[in-house]
Amino acid sequence: MKGAELELRGVELSFAGVRALRGVDLTVARGSLQAVIGPNGAGKTSLFNCISGLYRPQSGTLHLDGRDLTRLPPHRSAGLGIARMFQNIVLFEQLTVLENMLLGRHHLFESRWWQDLLWTRAARRAEVRHRERVEQVIDFLHLERYRKTPAGILPYGVQKRVELGRAVCMEPRLLLLDEPTAGLNQEETEDMARYLLDVKEELGISMLLIEHDLGFVMDLAERVAVLDFGLLIAEGTPVEVADDPAVVEAYTGMGDRDD
Amino acid sequence: MPTRPLVTRYEQDLRLFEDRWAQAGLALWVLVALALPFVASDRWLTTANLALIAVVGAVGLMILTGFAGQISLGHAAFLALGAYTTAVLGERLELPFWLAMPCAGAVAAAVGLAVGPFALRLRGLYLAIVTLGILFLTSHLLHSLPELTHGVSGMAVRMYAGGSDAAGEALRFSTPWRLGPVTLGFDRKLYYLFLLLAAGAAWLGKNLAHSNSGRAMMAVRDQDLAASVLGVHPARSKVLAFGVSSFLTGVAGSMFAYQQQYITIEPPFDLNLSVQYIAMIVLGGVGTIFGAVAGALLFVCLAPLMETVGGWIPFVADLSSHQRSTLLFAVGVCVLLVVEPLGLLGLWLRVKRTFAAWPFRY
Repeated sequence: MKGAELELRGVELSFAGVRALRGVDLTVARGSLQAVIGPNGAGKTSLFNCISGLYRPQSGTLHLDGRDLTRLPPHRSAGLGIARMFQNIVLFEQLTVLENMLLGRHHLFESRWWQDLLWTRAARRAEVRHRERVEQVIDFLHLERYRKTPAGILPYGVQKRVELGRAVCMEPRLLLLDEPTAGLNQEETEDMARYLLDVKEELGISMLLIEHDLGFVMDLAERVAVLDFGLLIAEGTPVEVADDPAVVEAYTGMGDRDD
Repeated sequence: MPTRPLVTRYEQDLRLFEDRWAQAGLALWVLVALALPFVASDRWLTTANLALIAVVGAVGLMILTGFAGQISLGHAAFLALGAYTTAVLGERLELPFWLAMPCAGAVAAAVGLAVGPFALRLRGLYLAIVTLGILFLTSHLLHSLPELTHGVSGMAVRMYAGGSDAAGEALRFSTPWRLGPVTLGFDRKLYYLFLLLAAGAAWLGKNLAHSNSGRAMMAVRDQDLAASVLGVHPARSKVLAFGVSSFLTGVAGSMFAYQQQYITIEPPFDLNLSVQYIAMIVLGGVGTIFGAVAGALLFVCLAPLMETVGGWIPFVADLSSHQRSTLLFAVGVCVLLVVEPLGLLGLWLRVKRTFAAWPFRY
């Protein structure tokens, strides 16, 4: 097995008595696609919020490529290489697709604020250089015709793609995908699957995926982790997990567990 | 209408005036602006000077409220700080205007940077209340330092040009220049100076709007959590917005002091003035530098314009000139915002779209 990109050890998170995550251990291998599934309220999105720094776990550690993320604010985690697609699309609606994607490269810009303000040669060069990289992503995701359209007026499926593009523009090590196919039709879901595989294979970005469409998960993911009430109840290849009685119990309430 | 030029390099996409038509339009505006002091009456020249001051102040507020989304009712406080810094520096140190103006901006910016951190914890109306507090504090401070500001009686603003004459007296900016047949008196000189400053402020604002720092502000305005997940430091963006905005506003205050030549604390630096600036950027269209410039020009020119127009309307003509302009101004602003909620920006976009599609309707 290749080295670990992301390593979670004993992550605990609770909100005034509700234990959202109870000692979760999880490892995402470098360059792999790891899925997290589980019924509603299992703590999947809370887990993502811990990784991207929006929540601070009460105990446990998070490491990205050996570097400690546990106490970092979101913008620092982003700088270290964590990108994210949100469950309900969070684009900057009044900004164009291009501006949204350039914002993904915000932490990579070399120009300082006074250079931006005076529009110096350094600011202009940074703008052009990052525009070139953004154009590659636009090309990759076939977003050419929407380049200068405000993101808020695009169709839902395209907005999802722009959000993926914005995350890819960050040149992350790890991409967190919170239900990338929610609300997409069959064709758009298949497109999204192809784009995700392309991003993984061609750009070598590791992925952590939350998804309710189990067919999608079984096809794409190399390993699957199952959360239930904040507890990691199973982890393994898709086939192993699908046959795990604890998983069947969690989803249907009709397993043959003895407890 | 000509078609857009084919863009083949990214640098072309970043130009402020992208094609020859835009450049020709700019040249036309520059010509009109340069010729104005020789065509306009004294009354309209004064109005133009006030409008240019408002442009600088409105660009400042647009960066804070329009770009970074931080509502401020304390705009008048920064104007007051700029104006009084200028007046005090002129009185005490006989500082020339080209030194006093940046100092005025710096003092206002220092206060802005001190207020900025409040915005990290407060948003929307709560921030508006805190900035209102800043306005009251500033006014109180200016009142309680009579040895510097002469308190309620106000103070004269001396505008030095730098250097001294044969008798050892510091040179005044108000000394007219004679260039052959052309005489540039105080108001005309002031106009050209203000034109330069207003253009500079608009240029800075425009640079910010299409650069990385400005985009980060807009991201924080629209979705601050998502912005931070993307690597934007929300606190830095907000503090930068406060700093740049209050610097420009301080300069606008300084311009106002020089134009008025005698300033008092209240009026003009009260809540009413803050609200007027908010009205300007809403009238122009929030979120763009075009909106700030157009809104400021319209807001300042509308009142004298309406005073004149009111004289031609029956019944309205019977009112006093002040009542006339207030009434018609209020009606004009309401009608504009009902017809086009995006303000002048919305009107401008409509005009542009119509011509782009001409001769078809869409």
